[in-house]
Amino acid sequence: MSLLEVRNVSFGYDSQDLFHNVGFRVNPGEILCLIGPNGCGKTTLLDCLLGALKAREGSIFLRGKDISALRPSEIAKHIAYVPQDHEKSFPYSVMDIVLMGRTPYTGMFSSPSFEDRHIAEAALDLLGLNTLKERPYTQLSGGEGQLVMLARALAQKTSVIVMDEPTAHLDFKHELLIMETMVQLVRETGLSIIMATHFPNHAFYFESNNIATTVALMNKKTLTAVGSPTDILSEENIKSIYNIKAKVISCEVGDKKLKQIIPLNTLL
Amino acid sequence: MKRKIINVGLILCPIGFVFLSLFIGRYPISIVSIIDMFWSKLTFTTYNLSDIYQTVVWEIRMPRAILGALVGGSLAMSGAAFQGLFRNPLVSSGILGVSSGAGFGAALAILIFNTQTTIYLFAFGFALLAVIISYLIGKVYNTAPTIMLVLGGTIVSSAFAALISFIKYVADPSDKLPAIVFWLMGSLASASLQDLWIAGIPMVIGMGGIWALRWRINVLSMGDRQARSLGINTTLNKGLLVIFATLATAGAVAVSGTIGWVGLIIPHIGRMIVGNDNRLLIPASFSLGASFLILIDLTGRMITGSEIPLSILTALIGAPFFVYLLKITKGKGW
Repeated sequence: MSLLEVRNVSFGYDSQDLFHNVGFRVNPGEILCLIGPNGCGKTTLLDCLLGALKAREGSIFLRGKDISALRPSEIAKHIAYVPQDHEKSFPYSVMDIVLMGRTPYTGMFSSPSFEDRHIAEAALDLLGLNTLKERPYTQLSGGEGQLVMLARALAQKTSVIVMDEPTAHLDFKHELLIMETMVQLVRETGLSIIMATHFPNHAFYFESNNIATTVALMNKKTLTAVGSPTDILSEENIKSIYNIKAKVISCEVGDKKLKQIIPLNTLL
Repeated sequence: MKRKIINVGLILCPIGFVFLSLFIGRYPISIVSIIDMFWSKLTFTTYNLSDIYQTVVWEIRMPRAILGALVGGSLAMSGAAFQGLFRNPLVSSGILGVSSGAGFGAALAILIFNTQTTIYLFAFGFALLAVIISYLIGKVYNTAPTIMLVLGGTIVSSAFAALISFIKYVADPSDKLPAIVFWLMGSLASASLQDLWIAGIPMVIGMGGIWALRWRINVLSMGDRQARSLGINTTLNKGLLVIFATLATAGAVAVSGTIGWVGLIIPHIGRMIVGNDNRLLIPASFSLGASFLILIDLTGRMITGSEIPLSILTALIGAPFFVYLLKITKGKGW
């Protein structure tokens, strides 16, 4: 039984399907990269996984249970969410934000306990954020903000984390920092990550770090290919979904075999 | 340590103001007599001072001070709750049309019946009605329910404001019109011991609900998608918060008339003192709102021979303060 199984899911806001027949599995300790052009429905698919939207057809199984039968607090104990760089409303302290990860474990009319505070602190420590604890999260840099969101997801103690373009708007170093953190977490805790990304090279990065990685290409209202980065991220596939000419290159650094896909030019 | 001092201060502040309001007024009563009076109540001994003192303190000033505390606390708490819920620090307790609804209900009752009870019931009923209509308007367009709810509130507010003008226009200018105008400007003067029991119920239920859900306000203020992924049933929790905040606000305006600014500026003073965490902000808003309204009421009945309506003073003190706040919080991220 997979940790998470998406079986034949379709969804649409109006009479037309935004996507249909979407299916994949995620196992413990695996990273799934959802790749596809703008507007193909990646974020909407993630919303379905989080239980925020109901699939029109098909089902999503979490440890064998259909998530449409689960309450939000039950889903939140298994799947956490790291949002894309978002509009911030109030300058809560970093600690308050991370504590919110404990919400599924607190009763409707109660607040997080002392123990929840310790769990939140441990999550901050794990990502080396303890010095930021009392800072308003609105004043953090993009990279720090994204790490705080990741700490909140860790405080939620789930087996799956869903990330929506976790490295959007980040500089070179912070992008790498987030990627390294993800690899470390998956390796050490057996966490599974589902991420939507615009950078196919992220998938190669995980693969070269010996993480079980799956790529799901989303295009033309469905998943056109699912498999390992090396198999799926081919020059032909990139051409077919983005209509660009690209080149896959590989080299060896130390004992690591690195792969990169380089866009060359757009096609008419 | 500093936090503890602030907490103790916030607890003592409204109690201090209630106490202060017992011996300030047209009829002079010394602190010593008040303390004696409390002592005799506590020890169940008879207090040998004239009955007038007893009446003034227990049946006029005490209910009025407690009513002031409840009204101020209700407005400030629901203001803070709405600000979190709508993710907008510029929202106030009247956002869903509660105040204009209540104003119309009261004006209608003054025009037709003109008794204390009907004014209260009409004001309360129309306040609830206004929110229900706002909610139904918000339902029309499903994709951005929160924005539509605010828009619904604005539409309902202006509709009821027009209806209030209409009633003013047809009201008898010699007695009914002044009564309507005076009611709309807000006052605690009608407070009696019996009023307090009836009017207190919705306010206490509303505030209790907001208090219990205060952690959830933090989570909801992150937006629907995040709140949902953090395990919250957003529809249920938002619905409950709107109901509780509406009960508190409607209970308050029905008994005191429309009082502006408290539901907007008090939560902001709270944010400056205890920060944005609603676990602290909600209690702080109660304490500050209660203290502020008792203070305004005391000022209103002390400066001149006749009482100055509350909303004149809240706005005169509130407006410049709000501008000042906007100026200094510009650097704070909103």
